[in-house]
Amino acid sequence: MAVAEAAQRIPHPLPAPWWRGKSGAAVLVVVAMLIAFLGWRNQGHWPAALTWNSVGPHLDRFQTWLSDNRNVPDPNLAFRAFNGLANFLDHLVAWSTRFFHWLTWAGTVVLGTLLVLRFGGRRAALGVLAAFASFAALGLWEESVETFSLMLAAVSLSLLVGVPLGVLAGRSSRFNRAVTPVLDAMQIIPAFAYLMPVVILFSVGPGAAVVTTMIYAVPPAIRITALGIRGVHPNTVEAATALGSTRWQVLTKVQLPLARRMLLLSVNQTILFALSMVVIAGLIGGQGLGDSVTNGLYTDPAMAIFAGAAIVIMAISLDRATEAMANRTDPAHRHLTADRSRQLRTYTAACAAAVGLTVVLGHVLNAGADWSRWTAQDWLRQYVQRGLDYVQNPSTFLFRDLTNPTGNFIVQHGIQPLRSFFIETPWPVTLIGLVLIAFLLSGLRPALIALVMLFVVGFVGEWTNAMDTFSQVLVATVLTVIVGFVLGVWAAENRYVSRALRPINDVLQTLPQLVYIIPFIYLMPVSGVPGIVASVLYAAPVMIRLVQRGIEGVSPETVEAATAYGATRLQVLLKVKIPLARDAIMLGVNQAIIMVLAVVVIGGLVGSGALGYEVAQGLQRNAFGLGVVASIAILALGITLDRVTQGRVRARTQA
Amino acid sequence: MASSNGNGRTPLIRAEGIWKIFGRNANKVIGTPDVDLSRAELREKTGCVAAVRDVSFDVYPGEVFVVMGLSGSGKSTLVRTLIRLIEPTAGRVEIDGRDVTAASRDQLLQMRRHTSSMVFQHFGLLAHRTVLDNVAFGLEVQGVAKSERHARAQEVLRLVGLEDAAGQFPDELSGGMQQRVGLARAFAVDPKVMLDAEPFSALDPLIRRDMQDEVIRLQHETGKTMVFITHDLPEALRLGDQIAIMRDGRVVQLGTPEELVGSPADDYVANFVRDIPRSHVLTLRWIMRDAKPGEEDGPKLDVATTVKRAVPLISDSERPVCAVDGGKIVGVVDKQAVLAAIAGEGD
Ligand SMILES: Nc1ncnc2c1ncn2[C@@H]1O[C@H](COP(=O)(O)OP(=O)(O)OP(=O)(O)O)[C@@H](O)[C@H]1O
Ligand SMILES: [Mg+2]
Repeated sequence: MAVAEAAQRIPHPLPAPWWRGKSGAAVLVVVAMLIAFLGWRNQGHWPAALTWNSVGPHLDRFQTWLSDNRNVPDPNLAFRAFNGLANFLDHLVAWSTRFFHWLTWAGTVVLGTLLVLRFGGRRAALGVLAAFASFAALGLWEESVETFSLMLAAVSLSLLVGVPLGVLAGRSSRFNRAVTPVLDAMQIIPAFAYLMPVVILFSVGPGAAVVTTMIYAVPPAIRITALGIRGVHPNTVEAATALGSTRWQVLTKVQLPLARRMLLLSVNQTILFALSMVVIAGLIGGQGLGDSVTNGLYTDPAMAIFAGAAIVIMAISLDRATEAMANRTDPAHRHLTADRSRQLRTYTAACAAAVGLTVVLGHVLNAGADWSRWTAQDWLRQYVQRGLDYVQNPSTFLFRDLTNPTGNFIVQHGIQPLRSFFIETPWPVTLIGLVLIAFLLSGLRPALIALVMLFVVGFVGEWTNAMDTFSQVLVATVLTVIVGFVLGVWAAENRYVSRALRPINDVLQTLPQLVYIIPFIYLMPVSGVPGIVASVLYAAPVMIRLVQRGIEGVSPETVEAATAYGATRLQVLLKVKIPLARDAIMLGVNQAIIMVLAVVVIGGLVGSGALGYEVAQGLQRNAFGLGVVASIAILALGITLDRVTQGRVRARTQA
Repeated sequence: MASSNGNGRTPLIRAEGIWKIFGRNANKVIGTPDVDLSRAELREKTGCVAAVRDVSFDVYPGEVFVVMGLSGSGKSTLVRTLIRLIEPTAGRVEIDGRDVTAASRDQLLQMRRHTSSMVFQHFGLLAHRTVLDNVAFGLEVQGVAKSERHARAQEVLRLVGLEDAAGQFPDELSGGMQQRVGLARAFAVDPKVMLDAEPFSALDPLIRRDMQDEVIRLQHETGKTMVFITHDLPEALRLGDQIAIMRDGRVVQLGTPEELVGSPADDYVANFVRDIPRSHVLTLRWIMRDAKPGEEDGPKLDVATTVKRAVPLISDSERPVCAVDGGKIVGVVDKQAVLAAIAGEGD
């Protein structure tokens, strides 16, 4: 009796049911928004009083003023310096192209192949040779050379800027702390958001393409270099200092040589980042393959597909080649005897001689800059055209029963309802609802940032478009998270799945953003769908990897303990592994949402409408003001999405 | 071992009142009453960690000076302040007559290049260089020509018995061999002072003993002055002429091995030396008494003989044994003294 009474008096620390917690509050907010949507549909559009309509025209005037002052016969010093920079960038690309022309196609092939053979090994060299062959076969030799030159210029400059900064960041914690937030910011901005400002400053041309590419490619160069320098063990640095090395000697004799592998990896990453921008660079005057893709999308689909394929081939072969080189030069694995290094020097000299000879022969035999003898383009075009006709024929199985219904499903049950929900609910309700949800998810600071950013979006007059883009991003993110979560968990639990997914993920992660969209323009030509499918493909590999790593990272002892208490495999997964991997999974969601936004806005080029479409219009119709306004809205949306999803991880790791 | 006290000689290393306080506002702690707080209290109050507190000592040429103490007592920090790998917060260091703490950047470099060298716990070898180039590294940063520095490195490698490994890379060697390379690198610049920061604590016990023998041999052959850190008492007793025992950043006792074992300054030190058999450390000097008239014709033993070694002779002898130092009788030892010394073990 007494015991029972005592037990009654002790309050049971019952876990609160979910509807009492934050999830419940979030559901409540959504329900309230739904009620407002149903009751006052279309009755509260963003008011003109809260809109600054003249941003666009102001920006247009600024652009005119800028180009007027730059193009006068005798511009002032600032403009002259600026023009000088722009011209230098333009010329850099031109010089590089001219260099390859001078080499002749034969010399270019021999130089590329032997360089990779000497420093990367046979497999990588074969890959490069195959890449050259396919550029020739696709009939895109000249375009490939142009793209490569653009990339070479951008990569060299990125490394020139990034490596010294990375070394600084690696050696000084204070500098590292100062640059990290800047780099973080640079990496969450979708490329589409800075195209417009760059074009305004540098006007359309290769120079603008180089700058755009650099903005994207410098951060990884800095980060990886810093990581490499930091990775050199402090003991070695201390030992060298104790023996009386100057700071410079420590850098050149200890840190740089020991970080060599990471430095080469940073070259590898910079190249990949640069390549993923070349297609977009095609929009603002980067010539070559990017240009062929963007021009061909509607007028010559086969050509767009060829150019896309060439970019993919270039990305993969460069990736493999630079990675092979990086692995080969790992200082800890490459032990050279004096004899061996003499042999290698001879080998290098022989390669150089072979290149020289080829160039001379090329000139004597008049090989020419462009490979124009034979291409398989027409032959391939036939097949590609047939394929295109098939996938777009409404009566085929593929179109009628697979791609078309899928596309329509996504539109009817995903994009459209969400879009009308966000756009047609009275704006104050949407704004406050979204901010409240941000608060519940991540806390006060992210919620305030969301409030300010969403207000900016409305203030510049992009509320409707931003809500449209936002609903596309939501749909794509949900799909990415589902795909990524399922495959990631599966891969973590099953060796075979993991092994099968790895090469697919590797390839998907090396491809440029726009390339994903190309096939779906023809496969699922329903508005918005190509952008969404492409963004899922683009972001899913990262999500898969993070989920897999998170689950595999759960300590074996914990799993063993759970198993020892008799948990089944499923219970271990649901009650131990997934909860413990929560931070990794949330990080995946954060990365996915940023990547999805980047691709969804690019989709504006091909019918996704909304903010991306306005940027595309800005670029193609010279509507600068409009483009910049949309860019600002994209940026604001990006910051909001990043902070809100990242804050969740922060709030948890601090708790 | 060399004699333990520098009668009239000038010290090669002189440390006076060294402090190292880590943390923000470390400079503001010294000169306030806070310096007398215990480590934990200081951290509580200011967030600073006092790693080294008011340490002074002299090391004479040819001596091995051992710093020992438990983990976290400040040993590593102390040696690093000697050549300013860590800047001391206060205090003065003089090496070979020059003021290290006041040295300019350039003077400091010169000193690190020519006067001192250091051996590290985790070796700190350069993975991308051959053994030969690792050993020659100190000479390379000095700007010595390649052929010359390689010749010198070869020579030193022979000294540590690694002449055949010259062309290999550090990761191809065992831990013991790697530390020999570390030793060779330190010897290659022919420094006056060698700083050994727990050089053997990452090695297993057998190799460790080998390496201690190696250091004793090298030290005898070259007569180098050493500052040697360890947290292993037997190692300290084997190598040290003088031993400083540190606790929470302070030196709690500084003396010869005999002094530590024979008269520990406090419970901390006593605890440290408890398991050391006193007869292995104490010498006749420690237990002898003045000779009475008529005792001077007993059997003779050097005054530096350990009790353990003296036991057979003393127990066989009817008369007290005479302790001689340089041919002169300085005292006598009888059976009671030996028994008292041995009986003191283990309490
Ligand atoms: N860079 C630093 N910043 C802050 N505190 C430090 C730093 N380096 C050392 N300390 C602190 O100073 C104290 C002494 O450290 P030190 O490394 O000198 O001890 P140690 O005697 O060498 O110990 P061990 O035997 O474990 O090597 C420790 O409490 C340590 O936490
Ligand atoms: Mg230490």
